[in-house]
Amino acid sequence: MAKRMPRVAVVHCAGGTAPLDGIVREELPHDCAQIKAAHPNGIGVCSWGCLGGGSCEAACPFGAIHVDPERHVAVVDRDACRGCGKCAKACPQHLITVAPAANVIQVRCSNQDRGPTARKACPNSCIGCGMCERVCPMGAVRVVDGRAVIDDEKCVACGMCATKCPRGAIHDANGIMAVR
Amino acid sequence: MAEQFTFTVNGKTVTTDQDKPLLRFLRDDLGLTSVKDGCSEGACGTCTVGVDGIATKGCVITTRLAQGRTIETVEGLTHEEQEAFVYAFGAVGAVQCGFCIPGMVMSGAMLVRRNPDPSEEEVKWAIRGNICRCTGYKKIIEGILKAAAILRGDERMDDALEKGDDYGVGERAFRVDVRRKVLGYGKYPDDLAREDYPDMCYASAVRSKYPRARVVSIDTSKAEALPGVVGVLLARDVPVNQVGHLIQDWDVMIAEGDVTRCVGDAICLVVAEDEATLAKAKRLVKVEYEVLEPVRNIAEAKAAGAPLVHDSFNAFGNHVVLHDNVCQSRHITRGDAKAALAASAHVVTHDFETPFTEHAFLEPECAVAFPYKNGVKVCSTDQGAYDTRKEVAHMFGWDAEPERVVVQTMLVGGGFGGKEDVSVQHLAALAAVRFGRTVKCKLTRQESLAFHPKRHYMYATFTLGCDEDGHLTGLDCEVNFDTGAYASLCGPVLERACTHAVGPYTYQNTDIRGFGYYTNNPPAGAFRGFGVCQTEFALEACMDLLANEVGISPWEMRWRNAVEPGEVLPNGQIADCSTALKETLLAVKDVYEKNASHAGIACAMKNSGVGVGLPDAGRANIRVEGGRAVVYSATSDIGQGCNTVFLQDVAEATGLPLEALANGECSTEAAPDSGTTSGSRQTVVTGEAVRGAAFLLRDAMLDVEAGRPVPQGPVRAKGDGKTITYEDGTPYQGVGYADGSALVAGHGIHPADPRAALLALEGHEFGYVYFEPTDKLGADKPNPKSHICYGFSSTVVVLEEKGPNRGKIKEIYAAHDSGKVVNPIAIQGQIEGGVLMGMGYALTEDFPMKDAVPQAKYGTLGLLHSTQIPNIHAIYVEKEHLLPVSYGGKGIGEIATIGTAPAVQNAYHQLDGELRWRLPLDDTPYSRKRAWGDERLSVLKGAEE
Repeated sequence: MAKRMPRVAVVHCAGGTAPLDGIVREELPHDCAQIKAAHPNGIGVCSWGCLGGGSCEAACPFGAIHVDPERHVAVVDRDACRGCGKCAKACPQHLITVAPAANVIQVRCSNQDRGPTARKACPNSCIGCGMCERVCPMGAVRVVDGRAVIDDEKCVACGMCATKCPRGAIHDANGIMAVR
Repeated sequence: MAEQFTFTVNGKTVTTDQDKPLLRFLRDDLGLTSVKDGCSEGACGTCTVGVDGIATKGCVITTRLAQGRTIETVEGLTHEEQEAFVYAFGAVGAVQCGFCIPGMVMSGAMLVRRNPDPSEEEVKWAIRGNICRCTGYKKIIEGILKAAAILRGDERMDDALEKGDDYGVGERAFRVDVRRKVLGYGKYPDDLAREDYPDMCYASAVRSKYPRARVVSIDTSKAEALPGVVGVLLARDVPVNQVGHLIQDWDVMIAEGDVTRCVGDAICLVVAEDEATLAKAKRLVKVEYEVLEPVRNIAEAKAAGAPLVHDSFNAFGNHVVLHDNVCQSRHITRGDAKAALAASAHVVTHDFETPFTEHAFLEPECAVAFPYKNGVKVCSTDQGAYDTRKEVAHMFGWDAEPERVVVQTMLVGGGFGGKEDVSVQHLAALAAVRFGRTVKCKLTRQESLAFHPKRHYMYATFTLGCDEDGHLTGLDCEVNFDTGAYASLCGPVLERACTHAVGPYTYQNTDIRGFGYYTNNPPAGAFRGFGVCQTEFALEACMDLLANEVGISPWEMRWRNAVEPGEVLPNGQIADCSTALKETLLAVKDVYEKNASHAGIACAMKNSGVGVGLPDAGRANIRVEGGRAVVYSATSDIGQGCNTVFLQDVAEATGLPLEALANGECSTEAAPDSGTTSGSRQTVVTGEAVRGAAFLLRDAMLDVEAGRPVPQGPVRAKGDGKTITYEDGTPYQGVGYADGSALVAGHGIHPADPRAALLALEGHEFGYVYFEPTDKLGADKPNPKSHICYGFSSTVVVLEEKGPNRGKIKEIYAAHDSGKVVNPIAIQGQIEGGVLMGMGYALTEDFPMKDAVPQAKYGTLGLLHSTQIPNIHAIYVEKEHLLPVSYGGKGIGEIATIGTAPAVQNAYHQLDGELRWRLPLDDTPYSRKRAWGDERLSVLKGAEE
C-alpha cells in the first residue's frame, strides 16, 4: 500500500478582529472552552473567530500550533504538524480542519454573518460574495452559510480563488497566490 | 509612471507594466512556447511553471504576483534536467500528443528538486493538477521517477535508444517527437506567432448564448468603428454558408432571420489586430434574439409537432428534405431474431442509458490561415488534412478545385475523434482570404466545450437470448442516439454502434434498429470507440445477466461464445487468421475467477479501417532527400504515434536506422491523401501503404548494391492486400514477397549497407497506394467482409472487496489482440490511456445539460486525476498467424477504451447484485453527489444545535 500523503491542520481564521469592549485578552483564561462559557457571543466583534486561549496548543503533541501573540490567532507550523487532528477536537469554535498538505490554498475565515456584518467584523473576513465560487475551475469552492468552503477532494490548489478574493480571505501556504 | 513588475524568467530579469496572467506574458511577450494554453482557467495544468521552485499554474499567477520572484519554464531547466526528462519520458512512452508534457515536466522537475527520491504516491500528488488525456498518467509517473533516478545518478541513459539504429517493427522505438514535445519547441498551431507571420491578426466569433433563438438583428457598427478592428464578417460574407464532414448541415454563421441550433453557433466573425481589441470588439456587437423553446432530448425530438431542428441537408450532392428530427437511421438484420429469441431457453431484456461525454483533449482548437498562391493555406490541428481541405474548399465554393486550399497539419494536442470536423479552420481561412492577412482563430476552452461534437448520448433497449448451455441465440435492440444540433459523423458512428452491438461472438440472428435524432444540444460525433462504447456497455451487461440465468461464470459465458479464426461473426464476416479473442480471455481467466465475487469482465471488438465498401485508401510516398528516406503521407498523428510507426515500417523493410529516416511535411500540398485518423486505421491502412513504398525503395537499394540500373522516374505501385502491381500493370516481383517471408517482421531482406545504397538514390521517389475493398453494409453475400480486420480485447476490473475502500477499483487487466505489436513502448500507453478514459466514462465523466445549455467547465467534466488511477495492467497477445498487411499490426486506438466501462459495471454487479444500467454508474464510491461542505459543515452544524 502506498504511503499516505501528509496531512496538516488548517486554522480557518486569520485573526484581526477587534476585541469587544471590556475584553482584555491578557486576562482571559488559557482554555478556550472556559472563555466560550464565559463569553457565549465571543470576545471579538467577530463572534466566529479564534478565542486565543491556546487549547489547541495544549492539545498538540508536537508543538506544531501556537497562538500568535500579535494577531491573537492560532498558527500552524506546517513542517512540524503531523495531521493528528487533536487541535481540531480541542477547538470549541470548530475553526480547525485537517487537510492534505498539498492543498496549500485554504479559506482562513469562518464568519457566517451576512456580508455587511462580516465586512465590519474583521479586515480579513469572508463576506460570502461568491467570487471564489465563480472562478474556481474545479467546482471545488462554494459559499455555504455565508462563507467560502473548499472541498479538499476536488481542490487542486491552483490558487485562482486566492488571486481573485477581494478580501484576501483565502490563503496560500506557499505565499505565492496570496501573501497575507 | 505606471506600476512596474520585475521578476526573473529562466535567469533573465524582465520588467513589464502590464498586469496580466503570467501565461500570457511568457507566451506573447517572451515567446516561450513550452508554456501551453490549455484552458486559461487553472483546470488543466498545461501552463505549469516553476515559481520560486514551486510548480504553479501560469494562467492563475499574474505578473503582479510574480513581482520579485524567480520563474522557470522547461526552456530554463538545467541541461542535465532537460536531457533526463527527454530520455526518461521517451524511454517509458510518456509522450503521446505532448500538449500536457511541458507542464508535467515542470511539476515533476520542481518535485525532484525538493525531493530527489520521491515515492510513486508523491509523484501522483505532484501532478494531480495536471490533466493528461492520452496516457492514463502511469507512463508519466514512471517517466518522472526515471528522470529522478537519472538525476540522482542511480540510473544511466542509454543513448542508443533515442538514436534508433534498430528501429524496426517490434523494437522499443523512441518516438520521433519526444524531444520537441518535452522541451516545448514543437509547434502546435497556437505556437505560430507574430514572429513567424508579422501580418498576423486575430479572429473570434460572437456565439449564440441560446440553443434555439431567432437572430432578429445583428449590429456590428460599433465593433467595426473600434480602432484596431480589421473587420466583421457575417453569414452573407460566406460564399457557401454550410459545411459538414459528410452531411452538410452546419451553418458557418447564422444569418439574420435564421434560427440558432445550439449554444455556440457563430453569429459573426470579428477580426482585430490584437487579442485585447478583439475581446473588446466582440462585446460591442449587439445581437437581438427572439428566444425559442429548445428541443432538449430525444423524447422532445420525437414528439408530435416538435420543431424541426433542420428542414433539410445536403449529403453527397443530394438535397434531402426532412420531415422529422431523425438525422440518420440504420436497420441491420441477419437471420430471424424474433424466432430465435422466442425459442431461447433464457432471454434478458433491459434499457441502458449513456451520457454525452467530452473529449477534453488538452489543446483547444486553433488554426492559422494566410493567402497562398491562388487560394489559402491553413495550419491546422485536425484528424485529416484532406478532410479539412474538403470542408474549407466547399465553403469557398471551390469543390471542383479543392487544391486552392492547402491544409498543413501541425502537431495535434489530442483529438480522440473531436477534431474530425472543422471548427476554426474555415473561419481563419475565410478571414484570411477576405482581408488578405494572416489570421489566427482559436477557441477558448469554454467555446470548445460547447462547440465540437461530443460522444453521442444513448438510450437503448437490448434483448439477448441464449440456449440452456449459454450459447447465444439472438439479439434484438433499438439504439437511440442524440446527435445534437448537427450531423457531424452521426451516420457512421450510429452504424458502428449497430454493427458492433452484437459483440465478438458467434450467433447469427440479429435485429438492430438505430436512430440518430437532431436536438438543440451540442452536436455529437466521433469519439474514440465510435459508438461502440455505448452499445457494448449494454451488451456486456446482458451477457452477465444471461450467465447468471444459465448458472455459469461470466468468463465461461464469454468463452463459450467467443469467436475463433474461421468462424462467422454476427455480421457474416469470417474471422480472419489473426483473431485472438480467446487468447485475450485466457490471459485474464485466472485473475477473474480468483476475484469473481468482486470483479467484472467484458469482451470487445473494434474494426480497423473505415470499411463497409467505402474507398478507404492508404497512400504514401517516400522521397530520398538529403540522404534520408522521407515519408510523405497526409495523416494526423494526434498522439497515437503513427509517425513513429511509419518510420518503423520503413526501417523494417529497408534496414535503415532512424537517422536516415524522417517524416515529411504533413500537408495536402506535399503529401498524398491517406485518410482520416479515425477507425483505428493509420497503423493498418497507412502502415501498409508505407510498407509498400518502402519495399519499392528497398528494391532500388538492392539494385544499387547489385550494380543493376535504377529506374529514373518515380516508382509507383498499388496493392489490395493480396496482389501488388506496378503502375503499368505488371505484377510486383520483389524479393521475399511472393512467398510472404518479407511480410513478417524480423524476416526482411535488406541491402548489406542500407545507408550507402540510400545515398545513391538521392532525389528518387517511391509511391504506394493500398486499397483493400470491403463490402457495403447489407451486401447480398453469405459472408460479406465489412472491415479489413478487427481488434479484440478482454478486460477485467477488480474492486476492493473489504474495508474502507470497498467498491474502489483496485486493478484493471486489459488484454488486447491488436495483431503484431509495432512499438511495445507505445502500445502500453495507448492501452492504459484508453482504459482510464473508459474508467472515467464508467464512473465520473458527464456532460450535463440544462435546457440544452451545457453546464460543465473543463475542471468539472469528471476527468480522472493522477491520484485516482488504479493499477492498470496492459497485456497484449500476439498470434503466430498474422495478417499479411502492415506486418500484421491491427489498430489499438479505439478498442483500448471500449471494454472498461462494461467491465466496471459488471464488477459492481458481482459485488452487490445490483444492475447499474446508466453511465456514469450510480451508487459507487466515485459517484459525484457529495453534499456541499461535507464533514466540516456537519461539524459546524452539529455545534450550532
